[in-house]
Amino acid sequence: MRSLYLILLSLVTSSAFSADSSVRELVKAAMDHWRGLTSATQISMTIHRSDWERKMTMHAWSKGAKLSLVRVVEPKKDAGNGTLLNDNNMWTYSPKINRIIKVPSSMMSQNWMGSDFSNKDIAKSTDIIDQYEHELTGQEETEGHVFYTITSIPHEDAAVVWGKEVLTIRDDFVLMEQQFWDQDGELVKSMKTLQVKEMGGRAVASIMRMGKLETPDEWTEITTHAVEFDLELPANIFTLSSLRNPRR
Amino acid sequence: MSSRLHAALPVPAMMRLAWRNLWRNHRRTLIMLLAIAIGVWAMIFMTALMRGMVDEMISDGIESLPGYVQIHHADFRDDPSIQNSLQAPGHELLSALGNTVVAGWTSRVRVPAMISSEKDSRGVTLLGVDPAGEIAVGFDLTNMVAGRFLDGPTDKGLVIGRKLLERLETRLGKRVVVMSQDPNNNVADRGFRIVGVYKATLEGQEERFVYGGRSNIQSLLKMGSQVSEIAITGHDYRAVDELLASIRQARPPGSEVLPWMELEGYLYSMMVMMDGFVLVWIIVIFVALSFGLINTLMMAIFERIREIGLMQALGMRPTSILYLVLLESLLLLALGLLIGNILAVGSILSLRGGIDLSAVAKGMEMFGAGSTLYPALKLGDLATANVVVIVLGLLTSLLPAWRASRYSPVEAITKI
Repeated sequence: MRSLYLILLSLVTSSAFSADSSVRELVKAAMDHWRGLTSATQISMTIHRSDWERKMTMHAWSKGAKLSLVRVVEPKKDAGNGTLLNDNNMWTYSPKINRIIKVPSSMMSQNWMGSDFSNKDIAKSTDIIDQYEHELTGQEETEGHVFYTITSIPHEDAAVVWGKEVLTIRDDFVLMEQQFWDQDGELVKSMKTLQVKEMGGRAVASIMRMGKLETPDEWTEITTHAVEFDLELPANIFTLSSLRNPRR
Repeated sequence: MSSRLHAALPVPAMMRLAWRNLWRNHRRTLIMLLAIAIGVWAMIFMTALMRGMVDEMISDGIESLPGYVQIHHADFRDDPSIQNSLQAPGHELLSALGNTVVAGWTSRVRVPAMISSEKDSRGVTLLGVDPAGEIAVGFDLTNMVAGRFLDGPTDKGLVIGRKLLERLETRLGKRVVVMSQDPNNNVADRGFRIVGVYKATLEGQEERFVYGGRSNIQSLLKMGSQVSEIAITGHDYRAVDELLASIRQARPPGSEVLPWMELEGYLYSMMVMMDGFVLVWIIVIFVALSFGLINTLMMAIFERIREIGLMQALGMRPTSILYLVLLESLLLLALGLLIGNILAVGSILSLRGGIDLSAVAKGMEMFGAGSTLYPALKLGDLATANVVVIVLGLLTSLLPAWRASRYSPVEAITKI
């Protein structure tokens, strides 16, 4: 990984820095850095509104760019609720009704567990690599780190409503900010990394906050408490039966 | 002489007598004529307006999308999902569609979908259409308020309704995402640029239907050349039996062919209700009118009691008096009808260009009518109004006529 970084750096510092392929590599590296080959994380999600706030603790596993499983641990009444993602398909399970529901396309733009993330945000979070044109539009050095700003414009037929996304990636591949701009060039919502911590052998964005610009007192914060990368995961963890019956 | 009076008077003489009696008090007769004429005018004219409204509602409702007859997969109406689709029309069906009873036809993909912009997302019905076919079955290009309609089945653009555009807070030329499911229940989604905006009579329709190129939608949904429905129009929406039979014969296996009356039950019951309502309307006006008629004739008779008594004393039979009074009212009714019909036909013809109702367009839209009303005169309605007025009018005048014929001559003459 270090070598990739060096390649990138050399590409970036040479005159070819706007070459789409190298910028795409950078975005991909950031996504890989975030997900690893496989990962197991303990996170808590805080959903904040002006008059209430709630917090959930969850366990999440991922493998490659397509498979993930998230299961709620706390609060007790939500414990066992889970979401399984396989590429663009999404299933949810609720122990209260003891049913697995495949999230239909009509519900993909609804929010995920009441948060500021939509189901689509969750299911398609790595699509940005292939469905966008990436361009390096800025580079800044502060606090001993280089921050790359990448403007990503979706392809014509990409299933994306945004006019562009602006990513800020730190030179150690931590995604510092992801901004969602509409097609009129207005910033609509953004996900910011508020804290970076060393976890599982790499720098991880430990607190991330997603919020719309229009409603500054409504946001969702995801705090990563512990993370393990590139671990052996049982082959059957990303299946519907494991969504229903936790084995870990 | 007296023997001739004892017999019934000859018709011409009765006629002259009735006519003179009618104009002896010309002011009363004129007022009554006016009442009948206005009543008849109201019957015919308002009926024509109602007919115009229903015609427009139905033709708007069925010609834009449903067509007169539709072919679906047998399960499509229970579950309008992509699984229940049809093969593109085969040889046999195509030859039936070439029949002269068919005015136009088109095949489309029709699936529930989600459309989202940056601001909002909505459930819609996504139609994958061949624009030429849509125009053939009645899509009106003058309804395009911005941009263009699709230019072929492979068009990658999207045409959405004006209201939907507003709801999504997006604009012509911007991209939206359409999301649906392919036959294996996988999410199928793609970005589309809005190339055109249409308006419809109903805002609900503008919000609901989204048009894309058929081949483009088929490839998005991975459904090959399958289609969801075939819509066919004929020449008269009230008479679809022949069309229905010829299409039914050639229908592909596993499909069902239904007329619009079954597909659009609401519109059909609306039509039936309006047909009934027209008759109710005519009778309501007549009831109001009949009170005036009875009153006038009664007054005419009370004024002429002495005269009637005299005629009886001279030997005129009660039946002749009955006929005389009935003849008077028949003349009155016929004259009134003549004036009323001329008024009604004249006012309908002068409003052929339509009546602008844009001031109350919102209310009209609630029950599915447009903001311009074109009165539609139907010969049947005209005849109904005339027959109702003549027949019921004579029945109403039976009472005063009978009363007149029942006076005893002595009493009548001495009455002050």
